[in-house]
Amino acid sequence: MSASQGLSHDFEHLYGNHHHWLLAWVNWRLGNAADAADLAHDAFVRLLTRPCHFENAQQVRAYLRKMANGMCVDLWRRRSLEQAWLEVLAAQPEPTVASAEQQAMVLEALGEIDTMLRELPPKVAHAFVMAVACEMTDNEVAATLNVSSRMVRKYVAQAMLCCMKLEARLAAGQPETPPIPTAPAPLTVAS
Amino acid sequence: MTATTLQEPSHRAMEEAAEWYALLRTGQASAAEQQKWKQWLGRDAEHRQAWSYVERIDRRFSPLQSSPDREAAVSAFHRAISAAPRRRRQVLLGLAGSLGLSWLGWTAWRQTPLSALASVWGTDYQAGVAETRQVALADGTTVWIKALSAFNQAYSDTQRRLQLVTGEILIDTGKDPSRPFIVDTAQGRLQALGTRFSVSQGDAGTLVAVYEGAVRVNPARSGASGIVPAGQQARFTADTLQSLMPADPARESWRHGLLLADGTPLANVVAELRRYHAGHLGLSPEAQQLRVFGSYPLNDVDRALDMLASVLPIRLNRPLPWWVSIALH
Repeated sequence: MSASQGLSHDFEHLYGNHHHWLLAWVNWRLGNAADAADLAHDAFVRLLTRPCHFENAQQVRAYLRKMANGMCVDLWRRRSLEQAWLEVLAAQPEPTVASAEQQAMVLEALGEIDTMLRELPPKVAHAFVMAVACEMTDNEVAATLNVSSRMVRKYVAQAMLCCMKLEARLAAGQPETPPIPTAPAPLTVAS
Repeated sequence: MTATTLQEPSHRAMEEAAEWYALLRTGQASAAEQQKWKQWLGRDAEHRQAWSYVERIDRRFSPLQSSPDREAAVSAFHRAISAAPRRRRQVLLGLAGSLGLSWLGWTAWRQTPLSALASVWGTDYQAGVAETRQVALADGTTVWIKALSAFNQAYSDTQRRLQLVTGEILIDTGKDPSRPFIVDTAQGRLQALGTRFSVSQGDAGTLVAVYEGAVRVNPARSGASGIVPAGQQARFTADTLQSLMPADPARESWRHGLLLADGTPLANVVAELRRYHAGHLGLSPEAQQLRVFGSYPLNDVDRALDMLASVLPIRLNRPLPWWVSIALH
């Protein structure tokens, strides 16, 4: 009881001191106030579910910035996936028979898969997704990508290993480190 | 990776599991190979652990496998990941421009679609959350910067130029007949003709509302130009200039800390209040289209919310001091 009170007090303190700043920072990054508000909020929810110990305010902001940066990249990637998915569906000669829920599930699954495969070269990721999602043979994938089927087998193993390592990191409770090269931090932050 | 926990399979075990997967999923493994795989699995708990990861990852694909649109989904994925690196470079390019010689680099980076995301960091003037800033420039021009907005200033002997980077500014231009006053946005150029006007830049375009004098508008990619007279407003994109409409007084009211609503959807009102509210402000989808009339204080969001609750069929939930959610009654 007292422990949880202490936690909520600490959290309120963190929120009070840094939410403002984070919101402004994310808004600059995204250029959209509504997305920024959601994202900054989610960042604090993550902080609440994964409490960390900080020595000083600088550490808090460095941590929040890193986390928020990863979340911004996620958001952009989700948006571009969504956009691509809508474009591809619109360009289909026959309208899809899938319901809106089924389509949403597909998009959700694609987002998860994209998160898993982010560290891989696009060709490897594409080969893996074709092979597994469409249950294509190595030869079929090889013909599409214009590589040998031996190479496709290698790609599939490489992609699976990459996913497993991420899975292991998550299982060990280590935060997922965003591998995307990120823009350097702003020199000054006004809030 | 150091083996801090016994449960975590080694790199070697994961590598082997991934190779087995790549072989077995093809359905072309010989009976002898299948037998070897079973032996591999039985030999070590670590192998079984690694294989459980494989199965878990494979299951993430089942919503795709069972979808009639799986080929479409995969081509959407391919399209999205092929586009991703290019976008990243654009962001970095934008950043280089804004941190370095911001004015010279500007022409190059203003054309990148994501420049606005990275751009505020090097700006000359900006306002954070919950603040409206008033800035006096050397020529007697006053600029009010709305919360979460920013602009750059570049004055020379021949012209006075501002670049609105993001958000909204209201400008009362100082008199200087020898130097034209110009505002650039992502969508085009505005030239003030002795005047007070506001400029708001969003994803859909730039909105200019004129209260005194007039403003000439030149969309960036269109040869056409138009003049917005006092009392009128117009929206434009890089390609088109839309027709004139009466200027919305709300565009000017924020500098006095007031939000004016005239049949405005609640969603827009809440979006505006979020700029001035440090905590979470949620709105349920059912309440988004409620129409709002009246004036509300921007410098006291809690009071504004209470006022809204007294005139609309909504309920405010405040489970925590900084958390407010709005729902229909």
